[in-house]
Amino acid sequence: MLTAAEDLQLRRSALQIRRNILRLIRAGKAGHVGGALSAADLLTALYFQAMKIDPLRPDWPERDRLVVSAGHKSLVLYAALAARGYFPEDLLDTYGSLASRLPGHPDMHKLPGVEASTGALGHGLSIAGGMALGLRMSGLASRVYVVMGDGELAEGSNWEAAAAASHHRLENLVAIVDRNGLQISGLTVEVMSYEPLEERWRSFGWGVQRLDGHDFGQILKALQAVPFQPGRPSAIVADTVKSRGLSFAEGKVEYHYWKPAPEELAQAERDLDWIERSLAG
Amino acid sequence: MKRGELKDPRKTFGEALLALAERRPEIVALSADSSSGSGLSPFKKRFPERHLEFGIMEQGVIGYAAGLATTGKIPFVAAIAPFVTARPFEMVRNDLGYMRQNVKVVGRSAGLTYSDLGPTHQSIDDVALLRTIPGMVVLVPGDPVELVKAVEAAAEHVGPVYLRVGSPPIPVLYESEADCPFRIGGGITMTEGKEVTLIGTGAALPRAFEAAQTLRAEGIEVRLISLPTLKPLDRDLLCQAARETGRIVTVEEHYVAGGLGGAVAELLAQEYPVPMRMVGVNDRFPPSGPYEDVLRDNGLQPDQIAQAVREFLSAAGSKGKGRRGATRANTAGRRRSGAAR
Repeated sequence: MLTAAEDLQLRRSALQIRRNILRLIRAGKAGHVGGALSAADLLTALYFQAMKIDPLRPDWPERDRLVVSAGHKSLVLYAALAARGYFPEDLLDTYGSLASRLPGHPDMHKLPGVEASTGALGHGLSIAGGMALGLRMSGLASRVYVVMGDGELAEGSNWEAAAAASHHRLENLVAIVDRNGLQISGLTVEVMSYEPLEERWRSFGWGVQRLDGHDFGQILKALQAVPFQPGRPSAIVADTVKSRGLSFAEGKVEYHYWKPAPEELAQAERDLDWIERSLAG
Repeated sequence: MKRGELKDPRKTFGEALLALAERRPEIVALSADSSSGSGLSPFKKRFPERHLEFGIMEQGVIGYAAGLATTGKIPFVAAIAPFVTARPFEMVRNDLGYMRQNVKVVGRSAGLTYSDLGPTHQSIDDVALLRTIPGMVVLVPGDPVELVKAVEAAAEHVGPVYLRVGSPPIPVLYESEADCPFRIGGGITMTEGKEVTLIGTGAALPRAFEAAQTLRAEGIEVRLISLPTLKPLDRDLLCQAARETGRIVTVEEHYVAGGLGGAVAELLAQEYPVPMRMVGVNDRFPPSGPYEDVLRDNGLQPDQIAQAVREFLSAAGSKGKGRRGATRANTAGRRRSGAAR
């Protein structure tokens, strides 16, 4: 069980990650904000509580791995790695500049803590599955987490990877679907239906839990219960809100990619200040 | 291996990989079904826990290989060539090339091997595709000795490698292993000559070898180069051949566009332009049929290669008139092969 103090600490870390996301957008003048903010609490729970990691030793062989399969969520990955101390937060101000170490989609060779170079959708689960298989063959108890978008699930390669993960009994593999329900052209289920989503994962041989992706208690309880079924990979379907934290953008498809006007950026700052005040109380 | 002996390249690949796996515990073999057809049965029997089956999952298997490589394994992914190159091209480019992972993709039964199964199974664009990937090494060994050395070099090299393997039996062309100075990025001069350079790669090498023998018997001084690495190219050897012989003929079981012909032309056009002829598959889907017949349909039989060289030399040799002569000879050649179809 998560204590009230732990929950408060995680909320503060999540706020820092959201502030870092805004900082990146300010530097680059635009970015994929919606899916970054919907996954912000999931990455907070992973980087600040669940994962066995050491930011000072990003290549530590026994570390847990996190692959952000939906690479356009790079903003939340950069924001979380900076907040967790993988690199100085000043580096966030280079987002959008020529040859930045923080490209629009993450490059594993440019930044410590980035485990895979994603961006083309539907690659992450296979790569993460290979990591999980290799770690098991090497006798390491490390886990591999992969954060996926729900729109991305239309890619058939995901289901190849899902089948192989259960075939090879990768119980050290955890897929987390950031189910914010929106993709660039509308409601995900209208663009390409995927329901019943939990049944899909189950039918591919995965243990499945569905939860509120903004509730740290639920997220951490699920992560502690991995593997949900012995000998099977685990899938978490996390219901989230796109652009979570920005009052004017929450749940709106227009904020998949955001090129903010100055007044919008100011409102975003006020929204995060409001969250900060609520945490102080 | 004895010179002239015929070897099944898939079996030779499997034996070479097994021998390496005995001393390199990081080596794992990934199969996208038809593992025995890739020559992996002995590996699977000896190291069942290191033989990883993925079924007919040709996109997923590349990502899995990339992930395995991040943990220090050296994955060899073997399957029918088009299904580990053209089919999962984006995975090969991003997960292996961009991510710089130490994975060896083995496309077997490449080229026109599956002549009878038609263009879906023929792999004549794999080199063109993978050659565009920065950092990718492209190995196309042409005889069993080169093949064994290529497997060893692929395992030794840190980074992504594409190894192209046919399946019809190929003859041993070297007297001994020491006779074959294989290295990644190196071509091998098999016979010296001053009039024209014939460059062969992969399954086309023994046919180029035979054509060169015929031409030499006629008194034509052909330099024969084996080019088992198509990326990186042996710049010095190729420029030297262009400079010293003035004419280049390439021979390959692949589209000349983007293949050996294209690669050599790209280099020489900038470094040392000389007239070239390219023997290989032209811009079409080849017909289905018996292997030897399909090779003939594409001008890849030794007598056709020799004839291409003769026509090239006679066209180039007659100077001013030669230009028109060359045009006539080529047009006639095309008409003839068109009629044969």
